[in-house]
Amino acid sequence: MNTLTYLFQTAVKNFWSEKWMNLLTVLTIAVGILIISAFALITLNIDITLKNWSSGFGLVVYLKDNITAEEEGLIKNHFKKDPDITQANYITKDQALKGLRQTLGSATNLLEGFESNPLPSSFELKIKRESLTPAGIKEKAERLKQLRGVEDVQYGEKWLASMDSLSKGMKILTVSLGSIILIALAFVNYSTIKILFYRRADEIDTMKLLGASRSFIRLPFLIEGLFIGLSSGIIALLALFGIYAVTTARTAELIPSIKSIAVFFPPAAYPVLPLGGALMSLIGSLFAIGRIKY
Amino acid sequence: MIQFTEVSKFYDNEAALTDINLTIEKGEHIYITGPSGAGKTTLLKLIYAAERPDKGTVSVAGQDTGKLKQGAVPFLRRTIGVVFQDFRLLPNVTVFENIALALRIHGMDSKEIKENVTDVLASIGMKHKAHEFPRHLSGGEQQMAAIARAIVSKPNVLLADEPTGNLDPGTADTIIKLFREINLRGTTLIIATHHDALFKNTGHRVIYLRESKIEKEAVD
Repeated sequence: MNTLTYLFQTAVKNFWSEKWMNLLTVLTIAVGILIISAFALITLNIDITLKNWSSGFGLVVYLKDNITAEEEGLIKNHFKKDPDITQANYITKDQALKGLRQTLGSATNLLEGFESNPLPSSFELKIKRESLTPAGIKEKAERLKQLRGVEDVQYGEKWLASMDSLSKGMKILTVSLGSIILIALAFVNYSTIKILFYRRADEIDTMKLLGASRSFIRLPFLIEGLFIGLSSGIIALLALFGIYAVTTARTAELIPSIKSIAVFFPPAAYPVLPLGGALMSLIGSLFAIGRIKY
Repeated sequence: MIQFTEVSKFYDNEAALTDINLTIEKGEHIYITGPSGAGKTTLLKLIYAAERPDKGTVSVAGQDTGKLKQGAVPFLRRTIGVVFQDFRLLPNVTVFENIALALRIHGMDSKEIKENVTDVLASIGMKHKAHEFPRHLSGGEQQMAAIARAIVSKPNVLLADEPTGNLDPGTADTIIKLFREINLRGTTLIIATHHDALFKNTGHRVIYLRESKIEKEAVD
């Protein structure tokens, strides 16, 4: 058995001998990591949902009834030159009416009072996801309105703005709350290791007097801190997955489509929680042990 | 060789040692004696760098312990075995593990550790106590275990602070015999004690400390 194995065994033994205190620390840190990761998961889901919804988002450019072929050509040319516009579908007046009739269904008699087709011809534009910012779309709509032959431009302005602010808000909340919780968790770990260090002060003094190096004294504590962080991260990951599975299953009873919308972290991201927990605990432990003086 | 040159040490402006000049040769067996508070323990602490001199120099095997960098202290201590007055055995591990700790600190592998610890326990007649915890041992046995830990790594210097302090005369005799054997193998032996009987008629050098100073030096 080499020295490293001995130090590792010592850490395991020490971890077990203070199991209740360590368990409490592990659970406290696990809850903290769970809160952060839950926020991150909600943000991820909002982002993905927005991405999915925005693929169907677009602007509708209504054309004037008296538009000339030249003006129509210029408008089409404008769409082609704009890199943000990925698709432009021309809807004739007849197609628009047909669409409206389909939408109204049995209530088509509402249209009987009209002598001629009241609907304008239009272009339905699809916009790139990256360009879907409230300010960008508003500006684009204003520019399109200036084009000759354009009657009006419409888009889901309020919807876009609220979704955008929700996404931004969640990201800010996750980052700021996450940072505060992370510091608090590092402090929890710091306190635990500090207490364990003080409890073994006599033992440490004896080791120092026998000629133990700093790393010989420190390593078991650092390994112990690493265990705490690692197990907290694993518990948080399992708990998050459990909560996610139960929540989506319960919600699916009311909204069946939730199963195809909701996502969990990709498998490649699974190690982030245990490793993040371990890293944070390691930093806390390093500060707790401090500089060993002889 | 251990050399004290004009060494003084103070605790809260109170002198623990004053202007000590002392040379201890390699392989020597020497006693430091004097009443409580005379500075015996401080003198030993200065050798294994648990204390640094406030004045003067302490040199151990050519190293000035006062100027020793923090990182170098463990290496110095690994060449010195110390038997502490309060034994300093780890309570939560067995006698075997307590002794093995000194060798683990040296980075020895487990096979060598087992051989060395078994040998040292046999030499002090405590092989049967290897797996006992210190709390289950008598005072004498704890002292023996502490000595075993101090000598297992075959140090160049062995320091013993009141090694027979609370022991019955029989156990004290056994320990003194053990020390003599260790010294005969070439280990420099420095024993701090206030028991005159320990060094009377031994033919070894005795340093008498009183009120932080060397009062006299004699061969008893």
